[in-house]
Amino acid sequence: MNRLIFLAIGTCFLISACARSPVFREEGYALFRSNYPVVRVNGVEVEPSYTLDIPSGENTLVIVYHTYRFDYHCTFTWKAAANTVYEVTDQYNKYPLTLYRWAGTNGLWASRLDPIDPLECIPKQR
Amino acid sequence: MRTSVVINSLLILALHASVTPARAGNGSDASKVLSILSDADISEYAIAFVNMSTAPGLEGATLKIDNDQRHSDQWRSRLGFNAEFTLNDHIYNGYWGLAIVGGRLEDSIGFIEDNGEPVQVDVTREVVGLRGSLGLSFPVDQYFKLRPFLSLILSNMENEIILDDQYVQNYNLPFNRLNGSAQMWSTVGSLEALYTRWYGNYQLQLSGQYHLNYTESFSEDNPILETEAWNDSAQLKTRFSGPTRLTWAGRPWQWNVYAHYTNFLSTSEAAVGYDDFFEIGGGLDWEINIKPLDWFGWRFLGIKVGVIVGDNVEGYSVGLTGR
Repeated sequence: MNRLIFLAIGTCFLISACARSPVFREEGYALFRSNYPVVRVNGVEVEPSYTLDIPSGENTLVIVYHTYRFDYHCTFTWKAAANTVYEVTDQYNKYPLTLYRWAGTNGLWASRLDPIDPLECIPKQR
Repeated sequence: MRTSVVINSLLILALHASVTPARAGNGSDASKVLSILSDADISEYAIAFVNMSTAPGLEGATLKIDNDQRHSDQWRSRLGFNAEFTLNDHIYNGYWGLAIVGGRLEDSIGFIEDNGEPVQVDVTREVVGLRGSLGLSFPVDQYFKLRPFLSLILSNMENEIILDDQYVQNYNLPFNRLNGSAQMWSTVGSLEALYTRWYGNYQLQLSGQYHLNYTESFSEDNPILETEAWNDSAQLKTRFSGPTRLTWAGRPWQWNVYAHYTNFLSTSEAAVGYDDFFEIGGGLDWEINIKPLDWFGWRFLGIKVGVIVGDNVEGYSVGLTGR
């Protein structure tokens, strides 16, 4: 029994050691991650990317949620705080994508907080 | 010789979970009943219990089958998850799941002996298994997804048969209890169609699932448990949910009501006493919304209560849920 407990605790430590902490580009920046490609940042088209360093303050990003019938171009506008992680994912919400503030709780899990819906999601026929 | 025939018959009984009570009731004696059981019956009945406990899409439940010939209590449970993971630069996502599954069946069957006397046989079965699933999720549009996935289930089943004393005396059996075990692996091909729609703050989810299951059974202590079978099953599920004013630790609660229909298409009712059932219920989900290992999202932790009804079967489903 004791061996099992030590094994479980050891596994937790090992797994938590594999979880990487976010790295910020520099002071005054936030880290943005998305499961779907970002195609426009503050009005400027960019190569589709999934991770961005964004300046703190108001940002507007367009992220594309791909489906076989449509590409949904979802526009998010929010005030990003410095040294904070944000991420966009799909969670069966009213809109295809939702923006969350990501907060590392401990080595084993992080929390998704403060959900923000996109301003709009425009479906474009593929 | 006679004793060995009886023992063999009992081993078949162990496989079957029952001696198909309706047949036993109609038959004039037990040996005649056993003689009409085919290999196909053996394959089906032996594996039906395992599949009805471990197959994907099934949730925890406590069931009771009660009729003139048969009194059974069955429960099944699972602890696990299913989740999608994004595959960058592809429209489709990955889909995977892991679960520990288990079930137990206590079957009390009455049949007729050669001399016309009723004989009671109590069969207890337990199964514990590990299920892994891997597949793809194809979003057709914002509302509709198709998910084909493959599951591999490894399980261990234990059997115990207890005979009534009169039967043991009649056949001079040196025991009144038989134990056996079998190890099984199942491969399940599944297709799920999932439709999600929002009406204001309320969400409607409809899903249909079809599972095609191939199972092989191995046993060192009982050659009759060396068998294989194909089965299929289908499920229709609907779920309606909405917000509440409740919060806990800054996280909101949601209510939900649901209705499920499950049909074990190619499994006969004789196998475990039923082949389809409805489940209706409701629950509360707390939006925990965490990301274990910064890898996959776990959004809701909930409690649910459901009632199960069907031909020859009734039961309930109470438990914790995670989505």
